Amino acid sequence: MPALSAAAFDPLIAALLAGDHAAALAETHRLRAAGAGAEAIVTAGLETAMGRLDEKCTVEQFNLLEIMLVGRAVSVVVHELYPEGVLPETGRATFVIATLEGDVHDLGKNIVRTVLLGKGYRVVDLGRDCPVDALAAAAEREHARAVLVSGLISPIVPQVRRVRPALAARGLGRVAVVAGGAALKQLAPADLDVDYVAETAFDGARYLDSLVAKETAA
Amino acid sequence: MNGPMNGLERILAAARFQPTDRVPFVPQLFGHAAATAGVRLADYLRDGRLLAECQLRERESYGGDAVFAFTDFGIEAEALGAQLKYYDSQYPDIVVPALAPPDDAARLAPPDPAAAGRLPEVVRAVGLLRAALGDGACVAGAIAGPMTLATQLYGTETALFLAVDDPARFGRALDLAAATALSFGAAQLAAGAHAMVIFDPAASPAVVPAEFFRARLQPRLTRLVAGLRAAGAPLIWLNVAGPTAPILPHYAEIGADIATFDYYVDAATAQRLLPRTCLAGNLKSLDFLAPAAPIGPPVAALIRSFADRGGFILSSGCEIPPEADGAALRALADAAGAETRTCRG
Repeated sequence: MPALSAAAFDPLIAALLAGDHAAALAETHRLRAAGAGAEAIVTAGLETAMGRLDEKCTVEQFNLLEIMLVGRAVSVVVHELYPEGVLPETGRATFVIATLEGDVHDLGKNIVRTVLLGKGYRVVDLGRDCPVDALAAAAEREHARAVLVSGLISPIVPQVRRVRPALAARGLGRVAVVAGGAALKQLAPADLDVDYVAETAFDGARYLDSLVAKETAA
Repeated sequence: MNGPMNGLERILAAARFQPTDRVPFVPQLFGHAAATAGVRLADYLRDGRLLAECQLRERESYGGDAVFAFTDFGIEAEALGAQLKYYDSQYPDIVVPALAPPDDAARLAPPDPAAAGRLPEVVRAVGLLRAALGDGACVAGAIAGPMTLATQLYGTETALFLAVDDPARFGRALDLAAATALSFGAAQLAAGAHAMVIFDPAASPAVVPAEFFRARLQPRLTRLVAGLRAAGAPLIWLNVAGPTAPILPHYAEIGADIATFDYYVDAATAQRLLPRTCLAGNLKSLDFLAPAAPIGPPVAALIRSFADRGGFILSSGCEIPPEADGAALRALADAAGAETRTCRG
């Protein structure tokens, strides 16, 4: 069966960007019936859609509702392609993500996870209310390139400041620390002792893209 | 204008674009008052007398022109049946929402402010604050806006998906939330509140698109403001944090007297978008956790930017958190006091 043209993925991309999960699932079925493999659907469909969303989502235009709808559509497609719930190892970097102990708000974290999955990264999600030591242990176990912490509320700030020392205690000084979320993004990286503070999920993903690209080039 | 004004006079004059002896200073200090007084936040949030005492003490410490009978965003949802988990030093979380995903808000009625949950404690706090301050400072009551309470009723994720998947059912949640806000607000006004603050962070363009605000929220906010006005509200303050530039122009149609603008929106833009509405802002709340630079120069610049226009209240763009640094707040109060220029109306 001949390879599908890039245009064949346009309806899927449009459905994803519209946040229409039912249409995205129908398009996935159509593409599979036409011979598209799961990897092609991820690369030409999901990753392309995420790239376009990234371009659209400036700080002024980023809103939780629309991103959640796209995230749900992406999740439906990923689940259809990989019913076991995990993407195969693609050789791309692994990130560990969590909302730290004391903060039970995980919507922002879930969006970041979806964006990174859509870009083909491996994401280990430790959920919410996660102890700093558990985060560091997971970074070691999963050979993570970065740990990502999301915080909606300000009392979480002291926990964030504990992340780098906890990583260093395990010899993981090269693991990058990225923070984001409504509270944390009001502070500077130095205030939080992190490498980067992301304004949005896409801003954080761009930082991680550049981090990985630099290492790939080196 | 003869002699110094008191806090209430200052805020009323600013809201009406009339001259003031100095720019009103109203930092959004809520749970921080508990920290200043050395009491557990969980106690502060559940005891109206304690809340009032702490707010009065906070005003003595930092000299604001208003006090706030605000507790947390779970209070109305709790009164409608949600279960909350309280903490010593942070705001409570909703652990069991009032409504499960399949539920319809039509099965609930607005809670009785005299009897349901902690609502009576807030009403009591308003009365105590008004008794202590009379008309010498602004006693601000507080209610959650329709979008914020609707998201609290179901949980944010469920509510947002519902807003798209079943707009009619979500509309009924918004209607219940608006009715709850009006009933709770009217009770606070009857207890003596000078101002009613409608906190609606979930209405922010960071959460929902501006078109959603205009089509789904603005009509309900307009009716809510009209209802509060009919209940005797001298001042109505619409307080939405985040990048609100796309929705600010609608506040005038909604009828708010005072509008918060957060640090995402610069002073010139806010003035352009809301030329005849008093603006309150836009200090960055978390700057008071770890101040990196002296607060005086930016405060002076902000006040200067409104000098010719008037209609300005020096405030933060959202709450200054309970763990904010007291020294930083004192520096803010000093900077605000140093800028004594009159704002022209």
